[in-house]
Amino acid sequence: MSIATRALVQAAEEGEGTSNFLIPDGTFWFELAAFGLLFFVLARYIIPPINRAMVRRQEAIRQQFAELDEAKAAANASEAEFKAQIADARHEAARIRKEAQDQGNAIIAEMRQQAQGEAARIVENAHTQIEADRQQAAISLRSEVGALATTLAGRIVGESLEEPARQSRVVERFLAELEATPEAGSATN
Amino acid sequence: MTGLLAATREIEIGHRVRGNLLGIDVNIDTIISTLIAGSLVLILGFVARNYLTRDPDDHVPSKIQLLWEVVVHQVNKQVEDNLGRVHPYVAPLAISLFFFILISNWMELLPTKLNSSTHLTPAPTADTNLTYALAAVAMVSVWVYGIKQKGLGGYFRHFLEPYPILLPLNILEELVKPITLALRLFGNIFAGGIMLALIAIMPWWGLPAANFAWKAFDMLIGVIQAFIFALLTVLYFAMAGAGHGDGHGDEHGEGDHKDQQDKDQLDPKAAPEPAH
Repeated sequence: MSIATRALVQAAEEGEGTSNFLIPDGTFWFELAAFGLLFFVLARYIIPPINRAMVRRQEAIRQQFAELDEAKAAANASEAEFKAQIADARHEAARIRKEAQDQGNAIIAEMRQQAQGEAARIVENAHTQIEADRQQAAISLRSEVGALATTLAGRIVGESLEEPARQSRVVERFLAELEATPEAGSATN
Repeated sequence: MTGLLAATREIEIGHRVRGNLLGIDVNIDTIISTLIAGSLVLILGFVARNYLTRDPDDHVPSKIQLLWEVVVHQVNKQVEDNLGRVHPYVAPLAISLFFFILISNWMELLPTKLNSSTHLTPAPTADTNLTYALAAVAMVSVWVYGIKQKGLGGYFRHFLEPYPILLPLNILEELVKPITLALRLFGNIFAGGIMLALIAIMPWWGLPAANFAWKAFDMLIGVIQAFIFALLTVLYFAMAGAGHGDGHGDEHGEGDHKDQQDKDQLDPKAAPEPAH
């Protein structure tokens, strides 16, 4: 027989004599009153504040999370704005750079054109000058070379070539011959 | 072994210190430990409350507050799941039952056992007087709640469901509920007490290990029994409020429908088979 069985048997034997511990007695009413009082105090003074505190804390946490989300959204928005501004600034810079390049190109082209114009003008002037000099040289040639040649020829031939009309005719003819000779030379060539 | 057996004869099971209170013969030891357990619960409660009201804006709970909040939250959740809302009477009742039973169960573990038969603080839940009282509060509340929810006629009609012939069984069930509530709790804690008495007469070399092992286990039993009592109370409330088999009816309906669908799906396959 195990210890527990023996103990129970003994309990049953004792219970017969005195009182059965399964049957409640007067203690029941005191226990009832005790629990009733405990229940009243807990339900009235302790559980409601605990419930309220829990609800308050939940609200607080919820609110904090909401604020957190809000702050996060704001931060994201400002970041996006910042990025957009940076992108704008980059575009602006690129635009300005391109504009400056274009302007530079235009200026260079203009300057080149100007320089070319200037050069052309200088060349033109030089040509004009040369032509004028040449004409002047030709004129002086006609007058001086003719006179020299006439004088020289007059001395050699002894014939007076002082008459200006004749002199001029001789010079003209001479010059014509002179001009014709290289052309004839070039033509024969 | 014979010495141990002889010693067991000295253990007086169910022996109570009797006394007279207000002209009624009572178990004085049970009443004293009830007062101690109740006071402990109230002290714990008021300490937690004190922490709560100290600074309403400080939302960080203290440890004792957490202990209460875990229980309160769990019970509230259980009540809400079963009754549809945190009932302002049922939830506090279940919480009170849980805490009071828990502390009462643990009273047994206090090392105030003078000898094998005299324990200064026996668990009050090891006395049927307390467990019957708790069960009575719970079941009367359940009946009142049921009548309030469904009306007098509606409540008593459920004794005739699902078939009127089950009336005796239904009545018996209602009467058995409080008794099982009370005796389940009593039996578990009372048995724990017997174990401690048996361990107390063990030889010195076996006593500490056995004592520690059993007390650790008994603490767990104390929690489980308190939880079961509170949970069953909530479930009885739910049963009294929901009516007999309302929810079950729906479930069966769905189940049958599903079975029918399954059969319908199987039928086309079954039909061609004879042709083979």
